[in-house]
Amino acid sequence: MIFTIFKKELIDTLRDKRTMRTMLLIPLLVFPIILTLYVNVSSSFEKKASEEKIKIGVWGDLGAKYWNQLNEMPKGLGKKELKSFEDSTALKKAIEQGEIQLGLIVPKNEAELARTKQSIPLTWLFDASSIGRQERAEAYMNHMSDKAEAIRFKELGVNAAKLHPLVPVYQNCASDKKMIGQIAGGILPYIFIAFGFIGCMYPAIDLFTGEKERGTIETLLTTPVSRWQILVGKMMVIVTSGMLAATCALIGLFVSIEFLDIVHNKEILDIVHGILTPSFIIAMFSLLFPLVVFFAGAMIPIAVYAKSFKEAQSIITPLNVVMVLPAMIGFFPGIELNATTAAIPVVNIVLSTKELISGTLSVGYYCISLGIMLLLATVSVLVSYRQFGNEARILN
Amino acid sequence: MIKVSHLRKEFELSRQQKKELNTTDNIAVAVDDLSFDCHPGQVFSLLGPNGAGKTTTLRMLSTILTPTSGTIEIAGIDAIKYPQEARAKLGFLTGSTGLYARLTPIEIIDYFAALYGVPQKEKEERKKYLFDLLNMNDFLHKRIGKLSTGMKQKVSICRTMIHNPEVVIFDEPTSGLDVITAENIIKLIRDCKDQEKTVIFSSHIMSEVDLLCDELAIVHKGQLKYNGMMSDFRQNMEASNLTEEFIRIVQR
Repeated sequence: MIFTIFKKELIDTLRDKRTMRTMLLIPLLVFPIILTLYVNVSSSFEKKASEEKIKIGVWGDLGAKYWNQLNEMPKGLGKKELKSFEDSTALKKAIEQGEIQLGLIVPKNEAELARTKQSIPLTWLFDASSIGRQERAEAYMNHMSDKAEAIRFKELGVNAAKLHPLVPVYQNCASDKKMIGQIAGGILPYIFIAFGFIGCMYPAIDLFTGEKERGTIETLLTTPVSRWQILVGKMMVIVTSGMLAATCALIGLFVSIEFLDIVHNKEILDIVHGILTPSFIIAMFSLLFPLVVFFAGAMIPIAVYAKSFKEAQSIITPLNVVMVLPAMIGFFPGIELNATTAAIPVVNIVLSTKELISGTLSVGYYCISLGIMLLLATVSVLVSYRQFGNEARILN
Repeated sequence: MIKVSHLRKEFELSRQQKKELNTTDNIAVAVDDLSFDCHPGQVFSLLGPNGAGKTTTLRMLSTILTPTSGTIEIAGIDAIKYPQEARAKLGFLTGSTGLYARLTPIEIIDYFAALYGVPQKEKEERKKYLFDLLNMNDFLHKRIGKLSTGMKQKVSICRTMIHNPEVVIFDEPTSGLDVITAENIIKLIRDCKDQEKTVIFSSHIMSEVDLLCDELAIVHKGQLKYNGMMSDFRQNMEASNLTEEFIRIVQR
């Protein structure tokens, strides 16, 4: 009987355009669209920045030496045009008015400082509100500095290595897989949680509040089917919808990575392929399933309580923030899965998934996380059953 | 057969409901000590003004609501102790019944036949009989949302009768329907009577009651004001017509 109800509700749900949009279409398309936009916009910015001809103002005759150095900069550091200025005030004004993008001020005693082998402060003027200006100045400065340093070492007859007794070599011992898990691992459970929630929302409202509003619930309750069977049948559709939405989001993300040329590094791409193994997906879904049941269990009492679709939506939408906020924990570095965090619902799913991606998930913490979520899912089902059995609520 | 004895239904009032009803009482009594019997092959009418307790009574008979006290017997089954078994014996149709707009009539009928546990062979026979009887064959595969009110009403009737129930409950079945669509319901009630089914229907339209019913109960504010045969009611009328007599009894 549960399957009969499940089948009917699933057909009904799949024919609802609004649910189909939130359950399949949006999750499926959101990542390809966002990532395509991101890649195109950022690459066009990068292209624009690299092709942009920067006008650099150099102050007075004292800058002649640096004028030449700037002129001889490698082409890879970007196109430029130099302009001479009589005083620093005019230079600043030209930057403010956008006539030039960078200004170089050389101290008046530059020759003296150079002769006495002292440090020469070179001041770069730029408008920090424009993207890439500081980076361009730093690139020029590093190049000039390296060159000046080499000349000075040569003049002094000093071996550069003698001045640097210690050369730090930092070596990261974490595997690339672990690094990806730590850096990007928070995103995956966040996607699952956010879309799992959204996927549950419309079917939950439609199958309970919608039935009340349309006047079909009364008829259903007069059939010789027990309320728990009706509840379970409907709940199965809500959970299926939540899982489908999360799966579609994952498929969308996978398709984006595979076909949109977002990840240029082949090694990283291989690691991503290595992570997305059947065992990983099974473990991931085993964590997601009780979470989605919990979402469904939290939404059903609200949907049963609400008198209209609008009312249900107005209560459940803010709940989204409450449920999804803990998922953001995954983005914070330093918060790790331990006995305490494994006992915090939603947070445990995020952290477990992170560890799962990194390949460092301990069986003990996985069991605690899964156990807590299963317990919560059971409680939410019982609360739903209680609310669904409340005749005052179900019939308004 | 329906046997109702000393039926009472109380509803707990929320703070907002108390405010709306301007009362300090914690409970509202919707049905108070109601007793009556409905017999097979007869149409029993539950008559009363809006808010009299008709719908609450019928919802208790269909086991959607649990009575605070009293007993209900549906086709020999204690409906309070065995609600699922009792529900299998009855068909329930209300004027406000909705249908699943995204499904087709055939899908709805198959769904309810499955919920009522109708065996496959019997289901096909019943479907053929009802589709022919109600002239539904032309729109069986169209979505409910695209059907006219009259077509929807036929689907509702078919859904109610697919399991050939012994007892049929109609809660203001013609409410909001035009005369031609309402005629389908009137015909259905007559057919049920001819098939020796127990029929109970609620209404506040006296002409409808006059047309159909064999036995009558008038309720007001949850209490039984009159219970007897329609023929006796007509014979003993003090007012000049049925509607006035109904108003007289209610205001008594």
